Amino acid sequence: MCKLTPPPPTSIPQMTGSKIRPVDRLAQAVAKCGVESTAYGKCIVKDFNNVYKDKCLAEFQILQTCVMKHMGKK
Amino acid sequence: MVLRAGLRFQARHRPVQGARQQLAIGKFRCFQHRRSLAVATNAAPGSSNTPNIRTGGAGSLQIFDRCVKRLQRDRAAANFEESRNVDYLRDEVANRLVERLYDINRSYENVLDLGAGACHLARALHRPHPGLAPFASRIKHLTSAELSSKLLNRDPESYIIPSDSHMKLTRLAQDEETILLAPPSHGGLFESNTFDAVISCGSLHWINDLPSVLSGINRVLKPDSPFLCAMFGGDTLYELRTSLQLAGMDRLGGVSPHVSPLADVRDMGGLLQRAGYKLITIDIDDIIVDYEDVFALVKDLQAMGEANAVLGRRKSLAGLSKDVLIGLEGIYKELHGRAEDGGSGGGTGIPATFRIIYMIGWKEGSGQQQPLKRGTGEVNLKDILGEQGGL
Repeated sequence: MCKLTPPPPTSIPQMTGSKIRPVDRLAQAVAKCGVESTAYGKCIVKDFNNVYKDKCLAEFQILQTCVMKHMGKK
Repeated sequence: MVLRAGLRFQARHRPVQGARQQLAIGKFRCFQHRRSLAVATNAAPGSSNTPNIRTGGAGSLQIFDRCVKRLQRDRAAANFEESRNVDYLRDEVANRLVERLYDINRSYENVLDLGAGACHLARALHRPHPGLAPFASRIKHLTSAELSSKLLNRDPESYIIPSDSHMKLTRLAQDEETILLAPPSHGGLFESNTFDAVISCGSLHWINDLPSVLSGINRVLKPDSPFLCAMFGGDTLYELRTSLQLAGMDRLGGVSPHVSPLADVRDMGGLLQRAGYKLITIDIDDIIVDYEDVFALVKDLQAMGEANAVLGRRKSLAGLSKDVLIGLEGIYKELHGRAEDGGSGGGTGIPATFRIIYMIGWKEGSGQQQPLKRGTGEVNLKDILGEQGGL
């Protein structure tokens, strides 16, 4: 058992529009929606033996709206 | 191991035109390869006009797409900087494997490194060890075999081997799954009894037919020579596996294989025994890596060339759907984030477990230690342990 911390990335993704990978933009957007993300996580994990489709739809939609807002999409 | 974080995203952003073309060609080849595989496995035995491409004794059970795996590794190695940045895991595993090599008091003429990646083992062999010379001084010739030639040749020789080293390194871009199966008379590469040791470091988890490869290794080993191996197994990335399952259940209504099925410690003991190894030693080691968030983990896995290559993976909608990715972060943190993080959005870091199974097995040889025959014991264990001893 041991702990390993990956080295920090040498090149931090630039914030200049098109050069940044969309998945990075998504990551940044999700990181900004911590509260919504936690609420969704809590909803799923609360009863994780009984998860079905759209169990936490309401929470997810709030999260999704937040993520889309931060991605700059309406 | 894992995951393809949206091929759709990635494919759109291939920077070089040449690389894009190559990718398209590679994808087509993989498609052809898969189709012929499907034909070969679905065809009734003896049916005439179906080409049977499975030769060399590989079993018909295919779990991983080796062709896609090669592409993923090629692609990972093409991004030189990022690829070197994620060496930390493989390097750590290689270093620990070399520590186990020191336990065997021998020198080797001819050693095979099966599934070399970017020659992590060759580099680890040259690492100075407190009080001892680097292990490379005990090896004359190391052959590094790896599926992806781009990953194998990522680094120049000067980066891998210091100038004062006498070890010779041969890089061999061949599929580690098939090169050992047959002797040269049947289209293979190596004669039986060729190597003084075979070492494999962090790549056997992508092998489809592990029993055949293990017996292949046993074949090329000289009698009374060791096979050392470190492979990802068991609970590797269980956090990601469970979070993805939950996210998939909620968003898509079902689960799709994102994290590979991995061999367990118990399976490996049985497999080694079945392949004819003697004096088997197995131990495990958990390496827990802290990542900033799920995206960092998935990106690192991708940069390692460890993206999902399970044949039954979701191919439509770019592997991981966006909805699943969005929801994944919250679930992962809630389920596996440590207490000090509080599981809240303000917390930092998520853990990812890599379970490494280290194995040592010896090819049968004369003068090797043998277990005693049953019934030849002269001392009753009860006398030593006492009535309740050991229970």
